[in-house]
Amino acid sequence: MADGVEAREIVKTFGVGTEHEVTALNNVSLTIRSNEFFTLLGPSGCGKTTMLRLIAGFEMPTRGDILLFGEHMEDLPPNQRAVNTVFQHYALFPHMSVAENVAFGLRRLRKPKDETDRTVGHMLELVKLGDLAHRRPAQLSGGQQQRVALARALAPGPKVLLLDEPLSALDLKLRQAMRLELKQIQRETGITFIFVTHDQEEALSMSDRIAVMSNGEVQQVGTPHDIYEYPVNRFVAEFIGDANFIPATVAGFETDMLVCSTVAGRTLRVRGSGDHNTGDLVTLFLRPEKVLLHRQGETSSGRLAGEVVDVVYYGSETSYRIRLDDGTVILAEDRNMLDGSRRFAGGEQLFVEIGAETLRVLGQ
Amino acid sequence: MISLPRNSRTRTWLGLAPAWLVIGVFMLVPIALMAVISFLEANPYGGVHFNFSTDAYVQIAFEYDLEDNLVFNPIYINIILRSVGLSILATVVCLVIGFPVAYFITLQPPSKRNFYIYLITIPFWTNLLIRTFSWILILGRNGVIETPLLLTGVIDDSLNMMYTNGAITVGLAYSYLPLMILPIYASLERLDFRLVEAASDLYAHRLEIMTKVIIPLSMPGIVAGCMLVYIPSLGAFIAPDLLGGGKRLLLGSLVQFQFATARNWPFGAAIAMVLLAFVVVALMIYARSARKRALIEGDL
Repeated sequence: MADGVEAREIVKTFGVGTEHEVTALNNVSLTIRSNEFFTLLGPSGCGKTTMLRLIAGFEMPTRGDILLFGEHMEDLPPNQRAVNTVFQHYALFPHMSVAENVAFGLRRLRKPKDETDRTVGHMLELVKLGDLAHRRPAQLSGGQQQRVALARALAPGPKVLLLDEPLSALDLKLRQAMRLELKQIQRETGITFIFVTHDQEEALSMSDRIAVMSNGEVQQVGTPHDIYEYPVNRFVAEFIGDANFIPATVAGFETDMLVCSTVAGRTLRVRGSGDHNTGDLVTLFLRPEKVLLHRQGETSSGRLAGEVVDVVYYGSETSYRIRLDDGTVILAEDRNMLDGSRRFAGGEQLFVEIGAETLRVLGQ
Repeated sequence: MISLPRNSRTRTWLGLAPAWLVIGVFMLVPIALMAVISFLEANPYGGVHFNFSTDAYVQIAFEYDLEDNLVFNPIYINIILRSVGLSILATVVCLVIGFPVAYFITLQPPSKRNFYIYLITIPFWTNLLIRTFSWILILGRNGVIETPLLLTGVIDDSLNMMYTNGAITVGLAYSYLPLMILPIYASLERLDFRLVEAASDLYAHRLEIMTKVIIPLSMPGIVAGCMLVYIPSLGAFIAPDLLGGGKRLLLGSLVQFQFATARNWPFGAAIAMVLLAFVVVALMIYARSARKRALIEGDL
């Protein structure tokens, strides 16, 4: 499969030679496949928007190359790149109707009038705005403006669609609905989507692959499942969802198991060995929903005794903070069942089970 | 303490009263006085006789020949047409010079913009009469433009730039240029430059970004600037008198001449009413464009 977008060793420094010199991207290489829904995920200031602006052509890289379907984009202005952008604040033209906004790109490309009209109609149908074609942007709700921005960017048939936090200005319900819709539109049109967000839930639910970024560097690239279950470092593990981190030393090896002893003196078995030596300091990582809670148990069977410190009820699940009897505090999450048999109250004693498959050793 | 009336409509009117008082005393009353005077008989020694007469309006287009017949006299009509023509020309010149200047200022870093705006307002520190007079030194015989050209032999004779329609237009455009730049700058400064990026992303090249996005969105400033140049140009008399040599009368000079020299108040007032009519037409065009804009922005 041909590569959609390739970024090679991109460095972007703003304010070169001034006292405000800032390196927004530090040697970033990315390969985004054709027809992929690719997400750049990271906290604000991590360089994800800069990356998007470099692909669009609004900024030029200080060093490095960007290739679009194998073609070098060097010094090409935005209007000569087959890439369109959905802007964070939509940037709709206020003096034009919805239909004129959507037709803008097609008209600049000098498409014949009947073809333009047909495409505009088709695009407005795709985003379900057919009956609002003659409205002005100011007469639309935020969600509707969002759809116009999407239709306007899709209309010229770009090879790559760039989306800069397009859902961040919408309320929760609308945002969740738009996620599904965006994903569906991407599948229908077959256009490569590059989506920028700081919302991990958005990234996990829509993407084919995610690049997690921080401080101008790519931390990890992988499928949502890979990123969530096998984070390469503590930053990724922490940024994507909640996590428990348990410092430990490697005490020995069993068949495809690593035997670790925690600082508090407990022994935990971890599946998969990696290249570790006895005595290495490691960080064990555990997702809260993988912690199993029991009312009864024996510590000998691998269950650890503890006490509930805090309870936060979320409706579909409940989150607990549990202090184990060695003093370690861990987070656990449990689905709420109909009979309430698995619900614990603050102060209640319980037993915690941590399976060998659920623990991971994190790289430092 | 004064207790305010409860009725909200009365309160609104009371609140607006100072504004109405100012508009009434300083605008409506003088205009009404002019209107009344224009329908009176002229007193040859200045002032008016209090007899109703439409002579002043008839005089705009007709005169009495030796046999007391009314005959068409185009001289004042020509003055009116020339005034409107030169005012429009001056407005166009201001727009062509003013828009790029305003755009340039908008592109500067915010810290520098105020400095440029300050430069634009410097001419207002000196009296308009003196500033216009200096154009005589620039355009006139043996002036700043002609002398070097004569000395270097590029031209053999005077260019005769003074006392022409061109000289008047230059004077008018010069006088009112800041009034074009400032409103255009005000609307360009509010323009969301992300829209420029969006246009460029959607395959618009530079010229199209200008004509399809920047100019349409700065229309409020352009229209306001045009009004601010066109309206005072119509009534101007300093530039026409100094640079037109008083031979090429414009409406403003004519009104001033009728009141101050010819002592024909009704005729001067009638010409002023014609002037007012052109201003009102311009303002109606302005109001229509403002209404259209409100519609665009969805405020209606």
